[in-house]
Amino acid sequence: MNASAVIFYLISAFMLVTGILAVTTRKIFRSAIWLLFSLVGIAALYFWMQVEFIAAVQIVVYVGGIVVLIIFSIFLTQQSGVEMKKPNPKRNFFAALAVLFGLAFIYRLISEYGFMETPAQPFQASVSDIGTQMLSTGDQGYILPFEAVSMLLLGAMVGCIVIAMKNKTGDPGIAEPDAAKLMIHTDFSSKTTEKDN
Amino acid sequence: MFSLEGITNSIQNWLYQTFEPWFALTMECLIVILLAISLFAILGLVLVLMERKVAAHIQIRLGPNRVGPGGMFQTVADTIKLLMKEGLTPDAADKFLFNLAPFVVMIVAMLLLAPIAFAKGFQIWDINIGVLFISAVSSLSVIGILMAGWASNNKYSLLGAMRSGAQIVSYELSAGLSVLSIVVLTGSLRLSDIIASQENGWWLLKGHIPVIISFVIFLIAVTAETNRAPFDMAEAESELTAGFHTEYSGMRFALFFLAEYINIFIVCAIGATLFLGGWMPFHIGHWDGFNHIMDFIPSSIWFMGKTFFLIFLIMWFRWTFPRLRIDQLLELEWKYLLPISLFNLVLVTVMAIMGWHF
Amino acid sequence: MFLKEYISDVYRGVSSLLKGMRKTGYYFFHPKEIVTEQYPDNRATLHLSERFRGEVIMLHDENNEHACTGCTACELACPNGTIKIITKFDISPEGKKKKAIDTFIYHLELCTMCNLCIEACPTNAIKMAQNFEHSVYDRSKLTKKLNHEGSKIREGVE
Repeated sequence: MNASAVIFYLISAFMLVTGILAVTTRKIFRSAIWLLFSLVGIAALYFWMQVEFIAAVQIVVYVGGIVVLIIFSIFLTQQSGVEMKKPNPKRNFFAALAVLFGLAFIYRLISEYGFMETPAQPFQASVSDIGTQMLSTGDQGYILPFEAVSMLLLGAMVGCIVIAMKNKTGDPGIAEPDAAKLMIHTDFSSKTTEKDN
Repeated sequence: MFSLEGITNSIQNWLYQTFEPWFALTMECLIVILLAISLFAILGLVLVLMERKVAAHIQIRLGPNRVGPGGMFQTVADTIKLLMKEGLTPDAADKFLFNLAPFVVMIVAMLLLAPIAFAKGFQIWDINIGVLFISAVSSLSVIGILMAGWASNNKYSLLGAMRSGAQIVSYELSAGLSVLSIVVLTGSLRLSDIIASQENGWWLLKGHIPVIISFVIFLIAVTAETNRAPFDMAEAESELTAGFHTEYSGMRFALFFLAEYINIFIVCAIGATLFLGGWMPFHIGHWDGFNHIMDFIPSSIWFMGKTFFLIFLIMWFRWTFPRLRIDQLLELEWKYLLPISLFNLVLVTVMAIMGWHF
Repeated sequence: MFLKEYISDVYRGVSSLLKGMRKTGYYFFHPKEIVTEQYPDNRATLHLSERFRGEVIMLHDENNEHACTGCTACELACPNGTIKIITKFDISPEGKKKKAIDTFIYHLELCTMCNLCIEACPTNAIKMAQNFEHSVYDRSKLTKKLNHEGSKIREGVE
């Protein structure tokens, strides 16, 4: 076992342990942090495989984006610091069953096909190649999915703005306090005029 | 001529000739770790003193001048004081995360050190996605801050952490876009390529106005990302006592403090690398005689000079500008910096395609 | 129209920030502007502003005479009871009784240096001095008697 394999096993063990902790801890914020470490482990694995671009994208998207989003939503929930109650034993039993089934399934797949050692050299994809491929209209180009995804994201963004925007007219939820304020104001002014009279 | 490249090469050769490869590699790792940690310690001491002195002179004061000649050992004394202090952990805090957070922040700062070229041939890891690596890893530091804020079980800390999160996530965009303009001009993400592309002049000088705009946006965005005044919403002494590190004391507080200054150094080093040519001496086009004279100044001095100039600029910002409110802060990013930097990126792209830069 | 406003907004913001940076940069590069007084070291040459108020004193001339008539206007003017005047009756040579001060008590520990007593004094007998080094080991030392021993009121002051 050479140094590279040792590093691989260390990273894998780290990922597995943090992954298990993420689903077993009963504090929701800690769960998010363990998930984060697990995702960082995946990025480390990419670095180990020397696909640095994918590793960096993994960190940007999952760690910097999604986990931060999850943490923000945890902050906005109530009782985020309270330990959740233990799941009932029946649920534990079925969860364990599902895990065992999954393990057996994967074991079966591996034992049937095994890991083949590829004779190919580790591929070298420079960043500019990735960029060219992404925007090429040729045979192997990804311009269509790229544009489709960008349209999807634009749609999501517009949707977010629409949801977040305050609807000034026709929304009873907003209009009512305004009307109440107006009424108080008129009431007040009429009183003063009475006093003046 | 003095050069760090020769020293590192001779050390490497000697290690690989006298020992087994694996042992030599381990030794190299240890040397790098030692250098990084001592750099951190020295930077922490120097930058804190520099900040206090710059602040004092800008405010027509003298600053620390009691400990040592001209107050030189003031920060040493402060560090010793912080080391001696008791590190308290609040009772209701999430103890594990509370103790982990300062180290997360510190480790992220250390990771960012890897791709920076300190001098010619003096770089820990010349990774082929250098710039992307930096922007990816620097987004991790927000996790440490969120962790600290939440684990302290204190509403000030939580508010500070939330603000810091919103701030870092949104300012990362314009920082990334301004960095992208240099990447577009260079055509490479590798930091050594970016430095090599500035052999006939720094990008700030040969990139016309669009690069100057992106330089200014970069400076604003990194000031916000390092949570410094005028964008110090995360700490906000007057509103949140100390924000996310309200509950920290002793050495753990010192780690946060140190990480802040290390981050300033790193972002300024990156700014110097991208816009001011890193260790590349001041060259003008094909004036070979002039360029040759400039080469006599060692590259490490060029790098440090540029970096400390940018650090001085950021300190100058801090002690001049009034603080922003949180809504003004987000408005500045989303209504001003982001549209301007997007438009600017288009300009830079046109410039790069037409080859209008020098 | 909107774009014009936007650009002028940005221009105004940037130019005002640059103006501020010019000022602070000027201060940074001109150490002569520094106003810090290195107090214990420069005690001999310490410069205090003219209107600095350190404590209340009573003026005495070379004949050990002061101008205080004991009218207690300062005592009444003082917002926190810093001044206490004990009066006595002097017998003038003509056999007339005349009011005069026995002791002018000044509680430095209560004084806020508000200057109201000096403004209230009709004869300018007291004034503010600039001495500010008042630290003592015993609180009772802060209660002072302002009129000197054996002093008396100056002739012609009513």
